[in-house]
Amino acid sequence: MAQTALNPKSSLPASGWKNWIGVLPFFLFAVLFLVLPSLRLVMGSFADNEGQFTFANILQLFQEQSILDAYWLSIRISAATALGGGIFGFLLAYSVTVGGLPKPLRSALITFSGVASNFAGVPLAFAFIATLGRTGFVTALIKNLFGVNLYQQTDFDLYSFWGLSLTYMYFQFPLMVLIMAPALDGLKREWREAAENLGASNAQYWLKVAFPVLLPSLLGSMILLFGNAFGAYATAYALTGGRLGIITIQIGAQIRGDVLHNPGLGYAMAMGMVVIMAISLMGYSWLQKRSERWLR
Amino acid sequence: MSYLTLSKITKQFGDTVVVDDFTLEIAKGEFVSFLGPSGCGKTTTLRMVAGFEIPTSGKIILDGADITDKAPNQRNVGMIFQSYALFPNMTVAQNIGFGLNVRKEAKETIKQRVDEMIALINLEKHANKYPYQLSGGQQQRVSLARALAIHPQVLLLDEPLSALDAKIRVSLRSEIRAIQKKLGITAIFVTHDQEEALSISDRIVVMNAGLMEQVGTPFEIYNFPQTQFVANFVGSLNTAKAEVSDPATGLLNVDGIQFITATDIKSRKKGDAIRVSIRPERFSFADNQKKDNVLDCTVENITFLGSVVRIQVKIGEAKFNMDTFNNPFLELPKIGSKEQVTCSKEAVLVLDE
Amino acid sequence: MNLMSRIRRIPFWSWVWFLLGALYFLLPLYATLNFSLRMERDVIGFKAYIRAFEDPDFLKTFLYSNMLALLTIIASIILIVPTAYWIRLRLPEARRIVEFITLLPFVVPAIILVFGLIRIYSSPVNIPFTEIRILQPLTTFEVGTDILIIAGYVVLGLPYMYRSVDTGMRTVDVRTLTEAAQSLGASWFTIIVRIILPNIRAALLSGALLTFAIVVGEVTLASFLGVPAFGPYLFLLGQHRAYEPAALSFASFLLTWLAMGLLQLVSGEQGQAAGAH
Repeated sequence: MAQTALNPKSSLPASGWKNWIGVLPFFLFAVLFLVLPSLRLVMGSFADNEGQFTFANILQLFQEQSILDAYWLSIRISAATALGGGIFGFLLAYSVTVGGLPKPLRSALITFSGVASNFAGVPLAFAFIATLGRTGFVTALIKNLFGVNLYQQTDFDLYSFWGLSLTYMYFQFPLMVLIMAPALDGLKREWREAAENLGASNAQYWLKVAFPVLLPSLLGSMILLFGNAFGAYATAYALTGGRLGIITIQIGAQIRGDVLHNPGLGYAMAMGMVVIMAISLMGYSWLQKRSERWLR
Repeated sequence: MSYLTLSKITKQFGDTVVVDDFTLEIAKGEFVSFLGPSGCGKTTTLRMVAGFEIPTSGKIILDGADITDKAPNQRNVGMIFQSYALFPNMTVAQNIGFGLNVRKEAKETIKQRVDEMIALINLEKHANKYPYQLSGGQQQRVSLARALAIHPQVLLLDEPLSALDAKIRVSLRSEIRAIQKKLGITAIFVTHDQEEALSISDRIVVMNAGLMEQVGTPFEIYNFPQTQFVANFVGSLNTAKAEVSDPATGLLNVDGIQFITATDIKSRKKGDAIRVSIRPERFSFADNQKKDNVLDCTVENITFLGSVVRIQVKIGEAKFNMDTFNNPFLELPKIGSKEQVTCSKEAVLVLDE
Repeated sequence: MNLMSRIRRIPFWSWVWFLLGALYFLLPLYATLNFSLRMERDVIGFKAYIRAFEDPDFLKTFLYSNMLALLTIIASIILIVPTAYWIRLRLPEARRIVEFITLLPFVVPAIILVFGLIRIYSSPVNIPFTEIRILQPLTTFEVGTDILIIAGYVVLGLPYMYRSVDTGMRTVDVRTLTEAAQSLGASWFTIIVRIILPNIRAALLSGALLTFAIVVGEVTLASFLGVPAFGPYLFLLGQHRAYEPAALSFASFLLTWLAMGLLQLVSGEQGQAAGAH
């Protein structure tokens, strides 16, 4: 256990493989509780009822209208809340960073965002029922102030697309604030001054410098928000009790009992979700790397 | 004929006076440096010329027009920042063309000007690279080209070399000066580095605590500092308390040792407390040459500084540094040995106590 | 310029966005609180809270969830700290693969994870290629289910815990610390327990708080694995009660707030988002 042992260069050639023993427990754990379960779903989606290899499940995935509808609804909700939460979260992050609001508001917003982005699932659903449900606080407020009954005179329904989207927004835009605030901090004061010095107006500065510089992190964050909403289950389940057929709820139903009457199709459905999540994560990390290069 | 005039400029942040009654006239094509320690108000003054700060009182006149309250983007003033401030999302060419682009110049005009500027800074091979692909020195050259591309009336440089390596700093310094001379552009250069200011400027403004200490050519600033601050800040300096022995002949008394000075002290009275200052390189060991001051001393310490050897000597009770050029044949005295040093009477400067 | 700068100094739109955001944050909370206080007709009172807290099932599930959280945190630390330490010290070439694994939970959401876990561990574990059973199906007995759910929670918290610990180790430079300790003759045990752990305690604490926030109200894993946890309890309560769930929802918001507030205290301004949605 002398000094030389601490130097990887001197210890590696002889006994490099022995060092891997140190991380064995971690890999064992990862294989048992992360890799194997995922593999099981992948393998299941390529197997028929007799356990033989088949592409039938994957093909059927694209033919089953109810599954396609579920994916499509999930994608729409995720995209809507990523876009809405992304834009609103960006504006909020802007207002407390370069927007000129007093400093204490910044820490207040960041703390609140930390809480709200973690406030999800059943309590969030109940909070929104108390707010925008049939007898909710805001529903009553609108009725009293404007004489409009949301549930009778408009198409609004908390247990629908827009209702769920509004609820998701509660954890979406705080997440955006948490990601964008550091990115906005990365805008150097000198860039604005250099632009002004060269004759650019405020609008030209934002259009030609600040916005393009922020664009990769903006897009990347929205993709992350998309994945965040896409994988969400508990909030939707607690809010709609399984009535709104988003993909996670369909998968939940498949776990509870083989509602598709085809386990392989269920696995394929789950794998489709993983693929979409993986694509969005890769998009995020690619864009993030790009923006780090600029904002260093 | 003054091209850029700063007249009685004062700037306060709250109760703090950052720049106090600053008046300066700069001629067209002149290269002026603001030199001083950090917090002396030099950068604030520069930023007022650029329009990023508005003077609390006073006027800034550029080529006959009052620009004191003009927005930065309405002035035609090029600025170079310490941190380069290149736009990371644009290539070298796009950065240089930015100013013309926002002025909605024709594409052809922009391209032509950009090519011209890229040739000026010798970065032809890098025109389509992004800032993060360039070295610090290259980035600062792009920033120079970007500022010059808009044909600014004045070029402002805010410590442009401070973030660079020592070698690049020296070469870019002469490059900036050469380009400035070639284009005949008026420039203000802010720095805390006295060597930089001395080597690059036509005139230097030494500032301290918001006040102008002295304005003059590098030669004047170095050889005839008028205040103790200037004397200390520019170059290294020996100072000692002294009193006037004979105003008519310039005789001074430093701790009982007689010095003679060429500075006119006729206005002072015998016994006045003053301060003498002598640059270390003005001393030399006694030789055959007839010098005005020949002084007995003890060698206290010897330090090698590369091209220069610094010898600390004690004359009477006062300690002085003397610098002598290093060469392989140099014969150095022993520490503790008794020697004689000499200096001319012009070397003995008199400052107010 | 004076006019321009003055306009810029009144950040009108910033205030608009900020106030809108504050409204979005606070309205649902206020609505929940308001609703939870109106259990008795025409009286503002804490009856719903008293009822909710008096329910023996509440205490049972809440304590159970807290115990799960605690065990998850301990398991995470035991699993992750030595791994991250070893990678920094001896095995930098494993960094990429381990980081990749810690990011996988972002790709495999809770619902998919529990799907896979159930499918694998609802059948007995045999020695490969034989019929010799070494383990009953984990989902068929209580301890087995507990192991499974804690493992699942460790996976869900993996990205946050690993990143906290790794950042902590980078900032204190564990390598130099270890070399210094070794040159002074410290043993491995002493190094880890008396040098490494105390120096990364802020990082451990922030990882632990995030894990806590994920686990305590978690519904997906808990309900599919059928454990008596707080999340499913709250969900069921919502099926046939109105005021008590609102009260508990508000209370759990305060709990999240507490955890995140502590997190802010220990780790400055990086309250990362967890993923228990």
